[in-house]
Amino acid sequence: MAIYSTDRRSLLKIFGSIGATCAYPFASDELYAQSAPPTEIPVRFFNKTDFATISRIADLIIPETDSPGAVRAGVPEYIDLVIARNTEQQSVVADGLRWLAGQNFMSLNEAAQYAILEPLCEAADAGSSKARNVQFFALIKSLTADGYYTSRSGLIDELSYRGNTPHASFEECKEH
Amino acid sequence: MPENKLYDVVVVGSGAGGGTLSSRLANLGADVLVLEGGPKVDTRSDFNTHALPFQFPFRHIPIMKPGKPGFDSERSRGLGGKTQLWNAVALRFSQRDFKGREHDGAGFDWPFGYAEMAPYYDRVEREVGVCGNYDHLEDLPDGIFLPPVPMKCTDVAIRDGARTLGVPVIHVRKATLSRATATRPACHFCGNCMSGCDVVAKYNSLDVHMLPALKTGKLTLQSNSIVYELAVSDEARVNEVRYFDRETREQRAARGKVVVVACACAQSVALLMMSKSSRFPAGLANSSGELGRNFIPHINAGFEGFLADFVGKQSTNDEGFLDHAYLPSFMHAKKRDYPRSFGVQFGYQNRRSVGWAKNVKGMGKSYKEAIKARYPAYITFTGYQEMTPNPDSYIDLDPTATDEYGLPRARRHWKLSDDDTRLYNDMKKWCRAILEASKTEIVNPDPVPNTNHEIGGCRIGTDPKTSVVNEFCRAHDVPNLYVVDASVFPSASEKNPTLTIMALATRTADHIAQSLQKGEI
Repeated sequence: MAIYSTDRRSLLKIFGSIGATCAYPFASDELYAQSAPPTEIPVRFFNKTDFATISRIADLIIPETDSPGAVRAGVPEYIDLVIARNTEQQSVVADGLRWLAGQNFMSLNEAAQYAILEPLCEAADAGSSKARNVQFFALIKSLTADGYYTSRSGLIDELSYRGNTPHASFEECKEH
Repeated sequence: MPENKLYDVVVVGSGAGGGTLSSRLANLGADVLVLEGGPKVDTRSDFNTHALPFQFPFRHIPIMKPGKPGFDSERSRGLGGKTQLWNAVALRFSQRDFKGREHDGAGFDWPFGYAEMAPYYDRVEREVGVCGNYDHLEDLPDGIFLPPVPMKCTDVAIRDGARTLGVPVIHVRKATLSRATATRPACHFCGNCMSGCDVVAKYNSLDVHMLPALKTGKLTLQSNSIVYELAVSDEARVNEVRYFDRETREQRAARGKVVVVACACAQSVALLMMSKSSRFPAGLANSSGELGRNFIPHINAGFEGFLADFVGKQSTNDEGFLDHAYLPSFMHAKKRDYPRSFGVQFGYQNRRSVGWAKNVKGMGKSYKEAIKARYPAYITFTGYQEMTPNPDSYIDLDPTATDEYGLPRARRHWKLSDDDTRLYNDMKKWCRAILEASKTEIVNPDPVPNTNHEIGGCRIGTDPKTSVVNEFCRAHDVPNLYVVDASVFPSASEKNPTLTIMALATRTADHIAQSLQKGEI
């Protein structure tokens, strides 16, 4: 199993039947798995130090602007929940955190922290590097984006999602 | 239910096929029992239709509300089957779709054509309500339509782009009400059609077909009944439908003069394969050896992109009822080096989902801004192609893996032939060209083939040596056994199969009723 993946099946896992294929995609256990009842929230997986580092990275990926950033949106808690249930991801994250600790990441100022992460981000976006710290960043970025844009802050405050409301009619497009 | 009651018809499955057929038969006076593997579902209260992801710690929106079972495995979805979660695209097949071999020499023809099916399409459309525009296209026959729903602005952009290439885009046709009926409200455009339409503006077989048919007193709906074997008598007739209770696992049997299998393609094939006997050692109704073969699901090329004209625009509510437009087949009329054709469904994104955000490059403020700017511009764009049968595409039973009920899992094998691959590549080329003409930043220019809409496995044919069921969907080998779902389609068309499943179910119901009346069964 890939440590993280962006194929359509995993999008299904995360986002339900929405935006997948137009009719009901057939017979995927992954799809049915979403009807499992929400599991109880476990005790925090990360220790205090690691949680602080994850929080810092998440907020550098999606910072506070005129809308909340990742931390205020509860993203670190979401990442904690997901990682707690995936041992492969735990090992990637442990390696990544160790590597960052070696760089004294948490004692650096924002610009310096950004300077460490940005090359990882470029490599992660390119998808070509198998380096452990790149995989670590790719995982955290993926979880941060998923967590943020499924949060109230991300979906409602930042993106102004306005669906899920009843309308008597659908208006003809006037602007385009 | 008295165990020894002999029903006129026992129907296995309650979706588009089973739901339509059973209600039609009950209305015609037959005594009908429907066995559904999944639980009873209350469409109006059991689905998480209007939930948002942040209401759940893991951000998955479960299909069902807490404590409501159903849709947790393909053997136990719930009353209404996949029609509870479908997107309701309702297209008629054309004469070309029924006679593809006549048209381009590949695959199989249906033993009847459009003229035979047209009255059944009419009936189904009147019953369920289909909105659409009268487009007068030869290859996509008009039906009996409620008013079309206007296109979204993003649809208009794609329509205008496609037009520069000479490719027409039309209003989508959906079994969703654009106008209220006496018993159902019109769509309110919340955009969550595929999460269970809790007002039943969108067709589902439970609320639109089966529940109203209960008034006849002729229809019995029995949920939580997982059928695992059809037992045959010495006369090669099904004499017992064996099932167990989904919760208690208690084994029971039902009897019907006629048995109809409507379990949604692969599960229908699986049930027949599980029903082995000394007479049918290779599976019920499989003397031809064709059961499971001719598996021809739709092949998809799924694109995602951002329409340049919408990047940075104010976020609006354009959820509507998901896709409002459709790009019908056009290649069938052009010179090409492959049989069959493709159509495109697009703009069915639901904006509760922003799964694409993680794939946008960068981090920090600019990353956040890039996502916000693209949010109103994000579109899905998926080509649907028809594939033709080949020996490597088939359904069988997993020899080892079983599901949570201890029953063998159905396996789907599919492989594109050279013809299919040429079509796939051309479909990708056209999709990219249309997206570019619509000024789209394409996220994934080279999608890998995927499947949707299971079709084939119990092919209709006139020759018992090469097909499983006859032109009335009756098993060649078993005179009181019928199959009514997309497994029987001899060819798949590139068009969505559900309306044709329903029309075929109606036609089969009429045939069964007549046969019962005449005492032929």
